[in-house]
Amino acid sequence: MTALSSSIGRKFVMGLTGLFLCFFLVIHLAGNLLLYVGPEAYDHYAHTLHEQKGFLLFAEVFLFTAFIIHILLAVRLSRDNFAARKVSYAKTSSKKGGRLAASVIAPEVWMFWSGAIVLGFLICHLGDFKFEWWWGNEFASSGSEYHKASIILRDPRVLVVYCIGSVILGVHVSHGLASAFQSLGVNHPKYTPVIHWCSIAFGWIVAIGFASFPIAWALTESAATH
Amino acid sequence: MISPVKKNLSLNLRVWRQPSADIPGEFRNYQLSDISPDMSFLEMLDILNEQLVESGEEPVAFDHDCREGICGTCGVVINGQAHGPDNETTTCQLHMRRFADGDTIVIEPWRARAFPVLRDLVVDRSAFDRIVQSGGYVSVRTGQAPDGNAILVPSQDQEEAMDAAACIGCGACVAACKNASAMLFTSAKVSHFANLPQGHPERKKRVLAMISQHDEEGFGACTNTYECEAACPAAISVTHIARLNREYMKAMLTSKE
Amino acid sequence: MSTATERHTLDARIPDGPIDQKWTRCRDEMKLVAPNNKRKFDIIVVGTGLAGASAAASLAELGYNVKAFCYQDSARRAHSIAAQGGINAAKNYPNDGDSVHRLFYDTVKGGDFRAREANVYRLAEVANNIIDQCVAQGVPFAREYGGTLANRTFGGAQVSRTFYCRGQTGQQLLLGAYSALMRQVSAGKVQMFSRHEMLDLVVVDGKARGIVCRNMVNGEIETHAAHAVLLCTGGYGNVFYLSTNAKGCNVTAAWRCHKRGAYFANPAFTQIHPTCIPVKGDYQSKLTLMSESLRNDGRVWVPKDVNDKRPPSDIQEDARDYYLERRYPAFGNMVPRDVASRAAKERCDAGFGVGETQLAVYLDFKRAIEEQGRDVIEAKYGNLFHMYKKITDEDPYQVPMRIYPAVHYTMGGLWVDYHLESTVPGLFVLGEANFSDHGANRLGASALMQGLADGYFVAPYTVGHHLANGGLKEVTTAHPKFKETAVEARNRIERMLSVNGKRSVDDIHRQLGNIMWEHCGMSRSAQGLSTAIEQIRDLRAEFWQNVRVLGNGDSLNQALEHAGRLADFLEFGELFARDALQREESCGGHFREEHQTEDNEARRDDENFAFVGAWEHKGDDQQAVLHKEQLTFEEVKLTTRSYK
Repeated sequence: MTALSSSIGRKFVMGLTGLFLCFFLVIHLAGNLLLYVGPEAYDHYAHTLHEQKGFLLFAEVFLFTAFIIHILLAVRLSRDNFAARKVSYAKTSSKKGGRLAASVIAPEVWMFWSGAIVLGFLICHLGDFKFEWWWGNEFASSGSEYHKASIILRDPRVLVVYCIGSVILGVHVSHGLASAFQSLGVNHPKYTPVIHWCSIAFGWIVAIGFASFPIAWALTESAATH
Repeated sequence: MISPVKKNLSLNLRVWRQPSADIPGEFRNYQLSDISPDMSFLEMLDILNEQLVESGEEPVAFDHDCREGICGTCGVVINGQAHGPDNETTTCQLHMRRFADGDTIVIEPWRARAFPVLRDLVVDRSAFDRIVQSGGYVSVRTGQAPDGNAILVPSQDQEEAMDAAACIGCGACVAACKNASAMLFTSAKVSHFANLPQGHPERKKRVLAMISQHDEEGFGACTNTYECEAACPAAISVTHIARLNREYMKAMLTSKE
Repeated sequence: MSTATERHTLDARIPDGPIDQKWTRCRDEMKLVAPNNKRKFDIIVVGTGLAGASAAASLAELGYNVKAFCYQDSARRAHSIAAQGGINAAKNYPNDGDSVHRLFYDTVKGGDFRAREANVYRLAEVANNIIDQCVAQGVPFAREYGGTLANRTFGGAQVSRTFYCRGQTGQQLLLGAYSALMRQVSAGKVQMFSRHEMLDLVVVDGKARGIVCRNMVNGEIETHAAHAVLLCTGGYGNVFYLSTNAKGCNVTAAWRCHKRGAYFANPAFTQIHPTCIPVKGDYQSKLTLMSESLRNDGRVWVPKDVNDKRPPSDIQEDARDYYLERRYPAFGNMVPRDVASRAAKERCDAGFGVGETQLAVYLDFKRAIEEQGRDVIEAKYGNLFHMYKKITDEDPYQVPMRIYPAVHYTMGGLWVDYHLESTVPGLFVLGEANFSDHGANRLGASALMQGLADGYFVAPYTVGHHLANGGLKEVTTAHPKFKETAVEARNRIERMLSVNGKRSVDDIHRQLGNIMWEHCGMSRSAQGLSTAIEQIRDLRAEFWQNVRVLGNGDSLNQALEHAGRLADFLEFGELFARDALQREESCGGHFREEHQTEDNEARRDDENFAFVGAWEHKGDDQQAVLHKEQLTFEEVKLTTRSYK
């Protein structure tokens, strides 16, 4: 707990939870890719997972805790950081060379807001898949997770929300992953550039990977109707 | 080699004027003409002040001293950039040839809760002194030192220590950081001593105390945007912040205090 | 004034005995303050450069209560920070035959035999301790691959004795002293007053007992009492307006002490550094020095033909005059600072100067680049070339640099004895502010050495001796002398604010600088100096009638600060010229046109001028009186410097 008493400690925990969440994203994406393999593979995966009740509960609690810590710290840090400026500048402009308008589109500048959007996306996503808030009893009949996913992913509203959400998530982690290493004190002339590029690649993979599902289903849908 | 004839500049300045810490400030516009491109930025401000005195308006207060880029006294935000557009350059070493005829230049003080404005462009940076007071030293009394060569320092460690020790304490890192964080400044001091055997006895105590003071002063946290590094006139790298993070967590997890 | 009084007031208190035992003997004989009594004594330290920060920290470590003052916003910014080259010490790590005696001898000779032997010897003696102290503080001195300290040659010395931190030695040494000071601030032993400017010295019963200063943020006039006052306020090069000093450097503290009874010694001894970036326009506010190491590979020249205004690349070899190589074949471009500076001035005065203002000479690296390759030159001087390009917008790899001499350091300062105590008991003067160690010319890498020697290793002993000597009755700021001195300071400020004339402070300062540079600069003549005295007086009168300082005294007012400093420069400048006029010889940085050999070299007069000229203030309307401290040389033989 003392770690949370200082700015560095908070960033450290932020980095740790962030890394764990990235790790979760990898697992999640890998599992989801089974959707492309076919209904059997995906359903098998889903059922096997759901049978591990104890593990699942533990993982969900752990994941939920990490999310909550990550979010609370983000709120706390952003509030402190905003207060530290006190009076804002009439004009700001980045001095980092190379990228035009680095200060406007660079992921690191709006981490809090990209994080907030991702949180919104997460809530929608849980509302779809876990709590089935918007779906009444459409899935009740089949019991197939693949079937459930297909229904959700076909929805045009889902297409929009998931594409935006995935891209923003990609942007968020493209800075977040490398940043976590820096916050944990990992910086080395040999490895830091590698981490930097890996982080950006990871951002792309996450964005494209997760956005691909609604897009693929939308394409099959349109192919089927024609 | 014939250098092209340089045209003198006419400029519109938007300068932050604030009579004192407790009176709110505002931007005021001034016109300058016939500014030589060879002038330094501060010489341009000198000319402005001469003009103001002539017209009966109090001159703009701005901090400056050595005017050769080492004392760290000067520093203003120029068109949104700490120390202006050049990298690795203090305000005093910035020259007017970087600007074009007819430009509007917005000049603001460093802005941070921990750096209150004293007047116009002058801010109070004593928070930096207090961070150093909290632990930015080696506790050795005059006369206690062993022979210089009794302590061997690998030249690479010494080079890294020197990279960090080159910090001039100007505060541009704070000014440029969107969080007004002083991590680059603090890390430079911590990293300087962490790289040298002389700094090791107080290593844990130092980093814990300096970070605690840093936070107490009201500076923000580092969110790794690295604007500090880009603004730093002494080219202090953010690697030192990573080392600071490392030093801090190591100290926190293992310190017995 | 009788000779008896003179001898009395200028007793340098040099201990008896062989020179290498004087300091030890002095320390053995000094009185000590018992440890638990130290906290009963308050000490004021003005200035936080190398001398001030090191003295304040060391005295606080001993247990005294220290109040430290500086005009900068932080103690870390004093102009010691700008020293590039290095710091000398006779460690003899390179095993090249260096010794304390050699360092001592080089410094006395370099000072053209106008420094006090005993002080210089002590300086050379404690220099080794400085290096040890700084290393222990964590100063990142350059290292060999094996981890030992590295040395380099500097300023034409025949041994390698200069310790350095890249091109930022002054910065690193100052940050070391500053960190020691900050440690004492956190321990509660030093009270730090930054953005405070000393305006006057308070003398009670003939002893220095406090200061009057102005809080530069709110304008408050404050008084502080103490048992001793240490003045570590640097040099007065800014009397020339343009110099390599920081803009804030000033003579005020020293001058105010002078007016309260401290003698001012050798004010005319000024060092003019040959390799600076020339003045560009009349807006120029500051001159920038480039390390003199540039002359190791650069060749200095001007066109042979006075009317040759072609760009340098068009001027063929046979149309160039490498005047240093021509005049001084033995040393060539490597002649000492004073000689190189004068030679440049001589060429420019004769009309051969280059560039827009024609007040510059070329420093050419073409041959060095051809012979050694651009990479080698870049490795050696890359940062200097970069700095030059930044300021001038010219690439010295392509076109020769243009350089011109600039005021850099002042050897003169308040007179002090062997204890660094001035003629006002209890007022100690350290570092560049005193006159003691560099004679008429300072060698490279020895200013840092002196500042730290005074602060770490001399003052802590001698100040203690003064305090232990007794006779210091309790004085607080309630004493009428404090009130009186504060009122005088306040009145002076009011007076400056009420003139409301036409000329800005900067404008008048610039004019003073022109007068000084013209007549008291690199070469001086009786006629010029007399003219200068007249002109300075007139300008001083004009200042008090026609200066324009806006705003008030109760807020941060930089023009007012500057005006106060200028007012003192305008008084001091006259004494400077008077001292140069009295010294009918040429030595070190002081060159009198009347006293030169047939081939225009300096002619020193040891018979009549081997003395320290210490000036006593007699009142604003009276001329200062000169006292002479005769210099005796027992260890070194007086020789003529020749670089032919």
